[in-house]
This record gives sequence, C-alpha cells and structure tokens, in this order.
Amino acid sequence: MSQTVITLERVTKTYGDVRALGEVTLSFPRGRFVAVMGPSGSGKSTLLNCAAGLDAPTSGSVVIGGVDLGGLSETRRTELRRRHVGFVFQSYNLLPALSVEDNITLPLRLAGMRPDHAWLHELVERVGLRDRLRHRPAELSGGQEQRAAIVRALAARPDVVFADEPTGALDRISAARVLDLLRELVDDLGQTVIMVTHDPVAAARAHQTLVMVDGKVVDVLRAPSADDLAARLAGLNGEPRITRIGDRP
Amino acid sequence: MIRTSLALAGIGGLAAVFFAVLGGMALATAAGVVAESGLRSSVATQRLGRADVVVSARQSLPRKEDLPVALPERAVLPTSLIARLARFPGVAAATGDVSFPAAVIPDSDVPAVEGDPATAGHGWSSLAFTGSLRAGRAPRDPGEVALRQARLGQEVRLMVGGRPGRYRVTALVDAPGLYVADATATELAGRTSGPRASTVDLVILRLAPGANTEAVAAGLRELLGERYDVATGRFIGDAESPGMAAARELLIVLSGSIGGISLLVVGFVVGGSLSLSVNRQRRDLALLRAAGATPRQVRRTIAIQAAVAATAALAPGLLLGYHLAERFGDLLVSTGALPAALFLVYSPLPALAAVLLLAAVVRISAWAASLRVSRASVPGGLAESRSEPREPSKARTAVGLLLMPASFVLSVIPLLVRTEAAVIGPANAALLAVIGLALAGPQLVRTVTGALADRLPSRISAAAWLAVNNARGYALRTAGAVAAMAMVVTLGLSFVLTQTTIMTAKADEAALGLRGLLAVTADRLGGIPDGLLPDVRGVPGVLGAAPVATTTVLTREFAFGDDPGLQDRTALVLGPDAHGVVDLDVSHGSLRELVGASIAVDEHVGAVGESRELVMGDGATVKARVVATYRRALGFGPLVVSRDLAAGHTTRGLASAILIRPAASGAPDFGDLLARWPGVKATESPPIAQAGAFPAEVVVNLAVLVVLLGYVLVAVANRLVATTTARREEFRALLRLGSTPGQLRRMLRWEAVLTAGAAAGAGVALAAVPLTTLSVSFLGRPWPAGPLWLAPACVLLVAVVVWLATALPARRAYTGSR
Repeated sequence: MSQTVITLERVTKTYGDVRALGEVTLSFPRGRFVAVMGPSGSGKSTLLNCAAGLDAPTSGSVVIGGVDLGGLSETRRTELRRRHVGFVFQSYNLLPALSVEDNITLPLRLAGMRPDHAWLHELVERVGLRDRLRHRPAELSGGQEQRAAIVRALAARPDVVFADEPTGALDRISAARVLDLLRELVDDLGQTVIMVTHDPVAAARAHQTLVMVDGKVVDVLRAPSADDLAARLAGLNGEPRITRIGDRP
Repeated sequence: MIRTSLALAGIGGLAAVFFAVLGGMALATAAGVVAESGLRSSVATQRLGRADVVVSARQSLPRKEDLPVALPERAVLPTSLIARLARFPGVAAATGDVSFPAAVIPDSDVPAVEGDPATAGHGWSSLAFTGSLRAGRAPRDPGEVALRQARLGQEVRLMVGGRPGRYRVTALVDAPGLYVADATATELAGRTSGPRASTVDLVILRLAPGANTEAVAAGLRELLGERYDVATGRFIGDAESPGMAAARELLIVLSGSIGGISLLVVGFVVGGSLSLSVNRQRRDLALLRAAGATPRQVRRTIAIQAAVAATAALAPGLLLGYHLAERFGDLLVSTGALPAALFLVYSPLPALAAVLLLAAVVRISAWAASLRVSRASVPGGLAESRSEPREPSKARTAVGLLLMPASFVLSVIPLLVRTEAAVIGPANAALLAVIGLALAGPQLVRTVTGALADRLPSRISAAAWLAVNNARGYALRTAGAVAAMAMVVTLGLSFVLTQTTIMTAKADEAALGLRGLLAVTADRLGGIPDGLLPDVRGVPGVLGAAPVATTTVLTREFAFGDDPGLQDRTALVLGPDAHGVVDLDVSHGSLRELVGASIAVDEHVGAVGESRELVMGDGATVKARVVATYRRALGFGPLVVSRDLAAGHTTRGLASAILIRPAASGAPDFGDLLARWPGVKATESPPIAQAGAFPAEVVVNLAVLVVLLGYVLVAVANRLVATTTARREEFRALLRLGSTPGQLRRMLRWEAVLTAGAAAGAGVALAAVPLTTLSVSFLGRPWPAGPLWLAPACVLLVAVVVWLATALPARRAYTGSR
C-alpha cells in the first residue's frame, strides 16, 4: 500500500465560469478499491476524467505512473493513458461492429501491443465469457457486456482501472456480480480500481470511499457499510453549486 | 404525434430525406414539363399569321397502343379539296398554299430570303395570309418575283425550285419568303406533273365576316374526317411545319426515358434516405414500442417524419424542376433536337403530377422502411437496435447474385446483332448489374470484408483493422454506399462509352464506304439545283457523281430490335448512279438497279427480289422491290430507297449533296464549277446524316444522365454525412479506449478507401463486361472507343465524394468532445 498509482496535486477544473473541481489533492494507492461518491454535480466524474488523463485540468498537476500529464499533447496523453489506465463505463462502450474478443483486444490493438493470451484467457474464464467470445455485443446481456468491458479494461494490465458508474445500467443481480468481480480483481490480482458511483450499495464494496461535494473531497470513509454511506450522503444538505456540467446522470 | 415523430427523427435524419425528395421533385417536374410540352405545345405561327383556319393533311400515323408516329415529310392535299372547302358554310375564300425551295443566289446585292431556303418560295395568293404588299404589283409572268428587300424593277438571280434563273422584282412585300405568280409556284413546287400533281401543301381559309372560327373548324373536322387536320389560332403554327410534330414526338419519347430512369433513381434515393433515417432511430422506435406503441403507430411515426420532410421539399423542388425544364429546353434547341420555335409549355399540371408521384414514392418507401422495425418484438427490437440486423435476407442476396450474371447474358446481344439496336444489351446489362449489386451488396460486403479481416496481417495498423471490421459489422450501411457509388460509375461509364463506341463504329464504317469521295453541297440554295449534276460530271477528273439525300421512312418490324409497330428511321436516298460512287459493300444485286420503286437493304434484313411494304415520310404506303443487299448497314443504316421512290414524298424535293468519286490521279479542280454556281460548296467530308456527329438524343440523354448521377452522388454523400455524424458515440468510445485522434482519422480514411475502392472496382467491373463484348463486336477489339479517361475520372470523383462526406463531418463529431 505504500506505492501510489496516481497523484493529483491542487487540481482545478473549470468549465467557463463554473468550477467543477476546486484544488483537489489526492493520491490513489496501488492495490486498493476506491469508490468516489457524491450527489449529482459534485464533481465525481470530472475528478475521474482528470485523474484518468481523459481531460486536462485547468490548473494543478496529475501524475500517472510517474509521468506528469501537464503539457502533454492529446496524442501523448492518449499513449500514456493506454499504457497505464483501463476504463469501464456505465454504457459499456463496446463497439457493436466487433466481436466480444475483438472488443477486448481493441485497446491493445490501438496501442500496438501484443495480447498476452494466457492473461486474457484467465480473465475471460474468471468473468465467465469463454463461450461468448465470438458473439457480438448485441447478443449479450447487460451484465455480460459489462463483464466483457472489464476484461477489456484489464487486457493491457493497466496500473489502474477507472469505473464510471459501472452498475448504473444493470439490474441488482448483474450489478452484484460485476461488483464482486471488481473486488476480486483487487483482492486476488492486486489491481487498483477507482469507481465513481452514487449507489451506496456499490460503494460499500470498496475499501475506501471518497465523498465529494461542490468539487471538493469532503470525507474519506474506510470500509463503510451501505447504510453508513446512505446516511452520510443524506446528510449532505444544501443545493450543490455545480449543476451544469461535470456529472453524468 | 407529429411533435414526437419529429423529435425522434431529428433534423439531421430528415435532411437526407428532404434533399432526396427535393431532387426527386425537380426531376419529376422537369420530366413532366417535357412530356406535357410534347403533348400540348404549339409552335409559334411563323408565316400564316393572318389565316383563320388552315387545313392540312394529317402529319402523323396512328399506331396501335402507342402514340401516333409523326410524319416528318410534308403530306399533301388534292387541289380538288380547295373548291370543296370554299363552298363550306362560313368560309369566304379558300386558297391552296405550296412551298418550294427558293433562294437568292449569293452573288447579287439582294440579301438572302429569310427562313429555311428549302421551303421559302410560295405562290402570290398566299401573301394575303402572310403579310401585305408594300409597293409594286403582283408577279404575273414566270420571270417575275416579289421580295421583302430589293428594288422595284431590279433583276435578281434566284434559285427557285432547284432551277437557277433571272427574275424581275415587281413587288415589295411585308412578309417572310419569296413570292411568284400562282401558276409559276405550282410548277416550281412540282405540282403540275409527277407524283405530286394536282396537290397543295395546305389549304388556307378566310372566313365570312361574323362566322365563328371554332364552329366552322368543328364543322370542317366532321366533314373531312381523320385524314386531315383543321388548325385554328395558335395551332396554325403546327400546320405550317410538318417537322414540328416529329419534334414533339421526340419530347414525349425523351420524357418517357427521363421519367422512367428518374423514377427508378428517385425511388432508390428516397427509399435509401428514409431507411437510413429509420435505422438511426431504431433504438428510439424500439423504446416507443416498449412504451406501448403498436406497430401501426410506429409506422405512422415514420410516415409523419417522411411526410414533413417531403412537404418541406415540395415548393423548392417544384421551382427547381421548372428551372431544370427550361435549361433542358435550351439544351434541346442548342443541339438542334428541337426547333427554336417550339416552346415548352409550363402549366401546374406537371407539378401536380410530380407531387402525387413523390407522395406515392415517399409513402411506399416509408412503409417499406418501417416494416422491419415496426414488426420486431419489443425485446428483440431493443437488442437489435444497437447493431444492424444480423443477416441480410437470403432471398435478397440470391436474387442479387442471380441478376449480376444475368446481366452478362444481356451483354452477349452485341455479339449477335451488329446494329444500333445492340445498345439495349449493354445499357440494360449495366442497369441489371447495378440492381443486382444493390441487392447482394450487404452479403457480398460481409463475405469479402470477413475474408479480408481473417487474412489481415497481424501487424496491420489498428486503424486499418478497425476500418475493415467496421465495414463488415455495418455491411448494410457500407453496401448501401458502395452500391450507389458503383451505380454512378457503372451507368456513367457504360452509357457514355456504349454511345461513343457505336458512334465510332458507325463513323468508321461510313468512312470506309465514302473513302476517297468528295462532295458538293448547296445548303444556301435549299438543295442541289437541277443543272449542277451534269456540270459536276463534266469536271475533268470526276469519275462518277451521285446525288444523295436523306428522308424518313416508316417501317414495320424491319430490323432486329424494332418495336412491333411502325418505327421511323432515316434512310439514304440514292439512284442508280450511286453504283461505283458510294461503297455500301453490296453482297447481292446491284445499286445500278435502284430505279423505280426499289430499295436496297441490310443483308440481314432481306434478300434481293423480295417485295417490302414501306410507309414514306409523308404517310404514303408504297411497295418496293429489294434490288440489292449490303453489309455496311451500321454506317449507312439498314435501308436505302431509290430516288424515284422518294420523289414526291419529301418536303424539300432536292438532293442535299452530290457525292463525287474522283479519278485516281489527284483531286479534280472545282474552281470553275464553284465560280459558275455561287452558293455551292465543295467539301472533302461527305455530309451523310447516318455517319459521324453525336445525334441530339445522345447529347440530351447524356445531359439527363449527368443530372441524375449528380443527384445520386449528392444523395449518397448526404447519407454518408448522416451516418458519420451518427457515429459520434462510437468515436467518443474509441478515444476513451485509447485511440489517438490520428488513429481515428486514419480509420475513417481507410473506411473511405474501402468504400470508394469497392465502389470503383465493382462499378468498373460491372461496366466492363458489356462494354467488352460491345467493343469486340463493333470495333474488333476488347476496349471501347471514346473518352477512356472517364474511368479514372469516375473513380476519382467517387473517391473524393466519399472522402469528403466522411472526413468533414467526422472531424466535427470527434474534436473537442469526449
């Protein structure tokens, strides 16, 4: 737990005159499952986008894998990202034209890396998609699609996996299975997973939960229960200042 | 309901439909204007502006189940009719009118007579209906004449009725043409003896004061029956020039061909844009179904979207259509296909027809496009809504795969038939092949890209790999663009090169038959004058000379590919003196026998000794003996009529040129001859209508094709823009998954290359098969004649359009957004 994967140093992000992130300083340790919670518009997704290098912060520095993202071109940022970061999205973002297998290896292909077949085989077995590799995403259930997306995120053995509302589009049982899976990846394989969610049940599966309000991290809870979290969130009264941009429903 | 429908479709989705309908409206309206003009337009009265009623022989022959065929040569009326008409109640006076070739010989100081010299001469009594006497007195003696511009009492040299002579000007008139005494006119027009004895061209009537013109005309029609036309008012212009009816017939034929192919293309484009729009909304429509909408309601939603886009396109489409028709009319006049005097008719009728037509096309297309999505079960629809239907229908693929080889069967036609009718082979082959490609396209794209994807080298760039897989994954979408672009290439190439190939073959063959020949013409004199031929023969170094003319003859199932009914074709008019001058490559018989009622025909069409029934250009049915058969039917047409047979059945009555075979040693010197015959010209390229030069119809068809293919291109580009814009989500996902913007750009470039490459390849390949057989048959070599640069030009055009339509909207879709 001594190593940090990503460090944010006084990161600010503004959209026009709306401030989505206000001087956030954070570091994510390796091998942990961290949840980021907060009401709509609290800056969760902006935090994720900046931490993952998807978006450049307005000010402050983001260091991924020892490299400062500041001043890097879009292309260089992309290259860094695909070496160090994997993504899981609420809407899966599987390309419908590609088979599950091709979807899984797509980031490797984009990065020009050779797939590690043993690793992929292990992952596919673990998520139970071995007999689905030749199918198109449209032929899978939502849970299966998200599991395929998780394999894809891990294919390049990234330092960290970002998950943006990974269970948002899933039913309770599928969601539970996906969360189990994410937790296993951390516990068994030493992965680092950072998950944005506003579901206390989901966040309860993490080692640690950051609570955000108005673009700032206001609380860090260690292994809270879902009820604790729900209570904590309910206590965040007052209208959030940031209402326009920075969060996905 | 309407609001919901529109909200679902979005502006982008409807724009493609809008443009498709806009273009369709324009094309349909333009075709409608041309068709209506063919049916209803009248020629501005040129000459007989003061006539009340004009009676003429009918200038058309009725056909069973078809439009009447126009008679381009003047059909005449018996003089006996004049007296009968004069006695008709309400008629004050009846005058017979004739026209004959007349021209001022160009060496005098009198300006040329206005109008076509072939029909500029008339009898004095016609003047009462054409203009007025300005000064002097009526010509009485054969040597007297009335002109518009001359001095009274002046001697002028005229060429009248093919005879040169000196005439004294006795009158100055305010009327077009040249006037001689009535008796002289009758003689000069050849009405005193021979096949046209005792006939007139027209009977002009002056009505009694107070008589109702229409009532008298109606009475006359009843009296005269179907064989005669009774014209009043603005229709008098029609009676004046028999060629007008033929020109109008051309308009109808043109509108038919334009309308047919336009309808096909409009259906294709409108249907395509609608199905694109529906595909874009598949998920929303599935959700609509999930929310409780019945399939009928879903179809209604789509119908409303289509109707709104179509309605918006209506007015601009109509305006564009009328404008297009006007341009088209100008083109027809400038190519000589249409006399300038013939006006296009602009009425609301074509607009109405176009609206109804497009409404039907849109309605049917909307219904067809919505069928699948409206019928899908709700969960099935939701699942399917994220990707394309998995398998293109087997039947569709099978039909498409059958059509393409079937089109090659049509390509064999030119190998069997070496006449112009062979055109139908390549033309229809190309069309069939394109339809086949459109049907089988999705499966073909899937198979080909599938095979390609499996064989891609493992080190291929991610961009190229993605492009191939996208093409495969969206086979329907890819195939749509490929088929439409291939259609542009195939139709463009096969149409143009077929025409140029046949044209070249005809010109080559005619050139063989006319090799070494010289010619003299006298267009300014209205035709070859009478004494010119012996004079030409007298020039030292002239081995033989033969007058030549062309006329229109109507035949029934004469050559291969003829319709069952009467068909008009241009025939060469030659006499026995053509033997040894024109080389038709006679296989049996001899051109020497071309006397009396005789014809020579293509050796595939008849045999020497047969008797054939023909309808001459003025509608007279004649029987003619076949005295020779020949091989050069492509260059000279399948029919040659004897001069004797044609005499009395043509408007002009004079030969158009004299073909001259010079003795082997050097060209004869025509210097003296030309000096003696002002207005006569010598030329080295014998002017035979069959040979050389692009016929007006070809130019017109080409113009139509260019407009149509342009429409298709714009429509396809439109669809590409719409699909690319709709892929925003996909681009975003790719960027998030680690694609650099450069990789995304390269992926799109590869996709464009695949689409354009497949379209160009398929297009060229489908056009190549029929063109090859045609070229082998007509030119004896496997490649066609004509602008071969057209092939790379088409490919380039397609590539540029695809590239622009993908790259530009894509940039907007992925820059600055994630």
